[in-house]
Amino acid sequence: MDATERLQAASKFLLQSPPGEINDVLNDVRNIISDDDSLQEGVLPALREYNLAQFTTADVPGHNHQSIVSEAARISNLAGGSEDGEEHLDRFWDPRSRTSFRFDHLSLETSDPEHIEPDAESEPFRAALETAAIAYLSAHFHDAVTSVFPTAGITTRFYVQVVANKYNPSNYWSGRWRSEYVVDLEAKQLKGRILVNVHYYEQGNVQLSTTHSVDLDLPPAISPSSAASSANKILALIEAEESKYQASLNDAYADMGEKTFKGLRRALPMTRSKLDWDRVLGYKLGAELSSNRGTFGSP
Amino acid sequence: MGDLVDSMLDLMRRLPPAQVEENVASLVAMCPDYADDLLGSVDQPLKVMTDRATGRDYLACDYNRDGESYRSPWSNEYDPPIEDGTVPSPRLRKLEITANEAFDTYREMYYEGGVSSVFLWDLDDGGFAGVVLLKKVLTASSPSEPSGSWDSIHVFEAAERGRQAHYKLTSTIMLQMTNRAVTVAGKNEKGKENGPGDTNREGEVMLSGSMTRQSEQDLPLQDQSSHISNTGRMIEEMEIKMRNLLQEVYFGKTRDIVFDLRSIDDLEKARRQRDLQKELVGFIKR
Repeated sequence: MDATERLQAASKFLLQSPPGEINDVLNDVRNIISDDDSLQEGVLPALREYNLAQFTTADVPGHNHQSIVSEAARISNLAGGSEDGEEHLDRFWDPRSRTSFRFDHLSLETSDPEHIEPDAESEPFRAALETAAIAYLSAHFHDAVTSVFPTAGITTRFYVQVVANKYNPSNYWSGRWRSEYVVDLEAKQLKGRILVNVHYYEQGNVQLSTTHSVDLDLPPAISPSSAASSANKILALIEAEESKYQASLNDAYADMGEKTFKGLRRALPMTRSKLDWDRVLGYKLGAELSSNRGTFGSP
Repeated sequence: MGDLVDSMLDLMRRLPPAQVEENVASLVAMCPDYADDLLGSVDQPLKVMTDRATGRDYLACDYNRDGESYRSPWSNEYDPPIEDGTVPSPRLRKLEITANEAFDTYREMYYEGGVSSVFLWDLDDGGFAGVVLLKKVLTASSPSEPSGSWDSIHVFEAAERGRQAHYKLTSTIMLQMTNRAVTVAGKNEKGKENGPGDTNREGEVMLSGSMTRQSEQDLPLQDQSSHISNTGRMIEEMEIKMRNLLQEVYFGKTRDIVFDLRSIDDLEKARRQRDLQKELVGFIKR
């Protein structure tokens, strides 16, 4: 394996990191590659991809809240994608505080804040969605972050993103709930996905990984002109979908416990008692003896 | 470089168990000098092979591997055939044959299907060691049916001490379960109405992982076949214990963590109720 292939393999490992364990995986990979200079450069694209896909949260400079770093949060979206290059690649924004910042994919630190003016036409509806999303979060999450982003060039399409993380390394577990909804007022559609990952690693490695996608029509009453009431209705739909999904997870657990788990291995044999090992061995011996007797004894 | 192997093992404890084979292969390609350390310490799903001589299925793992070939417990033959492949001493092979028959009964009683294999090997100090393998796969007959697999790997060492034997057992169980659900335009897969609206839903729930536990015991020895009943009881005890543990972690712990991330009940409402209650208590005290 040459150096490039080794870095590719290392990048694949990083992208599979369980919630809150990217630094542990990076430490392992560092030891395995044992070439810090090439590693730092080589795995940056993987760290960036991981952070964006996992809705990594960033402290907004100069503010007391966090915002989500994701594809929709890229500042280049605002400029219509015309400006690229390294500088713009790692600049994201927080619409709530109208701040853009540089994000370091290794340290997860933010720097270099700048004020940013949102698109005047879409901002009222985006802000209404944000207010409703924050209220939804406080009703159903103990500790979560939400960001609502507009779409460049389309004033009627928004991204509602939610991420909740719980890391408990001293008890060997971690978990992440991600959800994302694309609100399209023009097509009157709501497209969403919910992703849950759990890692339990006390004397083992057990992972839960779920995916769920939903595609539903928005009621006719929802329109850009009635921002506050429409946003509340949309978040009510999201709340209903997520609660229904969470309840359906209970059903999936019950199903797997009843059908799959029991079907793979019984708790006890049909006889409802453990094996009589002396008899198991005796039966085998007895069967051998009687079959021998058969050959010799019968005419 | 012990810490390199430690890093590889730590990595395997963190990466998704469902991808263990792919990830081990990558690590072996990255660090070929440590291939044996890695393959000897990371448990991977067991491969099912068919004995060419008897037509019976058996399980392949690192313990019955010699080069690229695997030994069948039924015929004692290697596949693909090799010359001078490692086989147990005649005395131990006799015990291995009986052990395979006994654990085949055990398999039928608990797994009602699947495949089992037992492999024994001589140790330099005069004792012997062995591995008991059990595997069962449930294949989904349709996309909406659940599927899963169970792999047990029990490695033990036996040391005879007069009329007793000392056993050391390390057990690993790999368990994977997948559930899929598809709802198209408000109807679920059974065609029943699933609420109003034009809604499409699709999802998958996957639980996968492995757990390892160890135990040691001194047990009486009457004759050679006592080794089979002794390890049999230890393994049965261990599997019962670990099945309970797996049930607790898979269905209890991981679910609790999801419900720790998000609450179905309205937390805001509960908060308001608590505040109101406090107020009332304060009012009564006054």
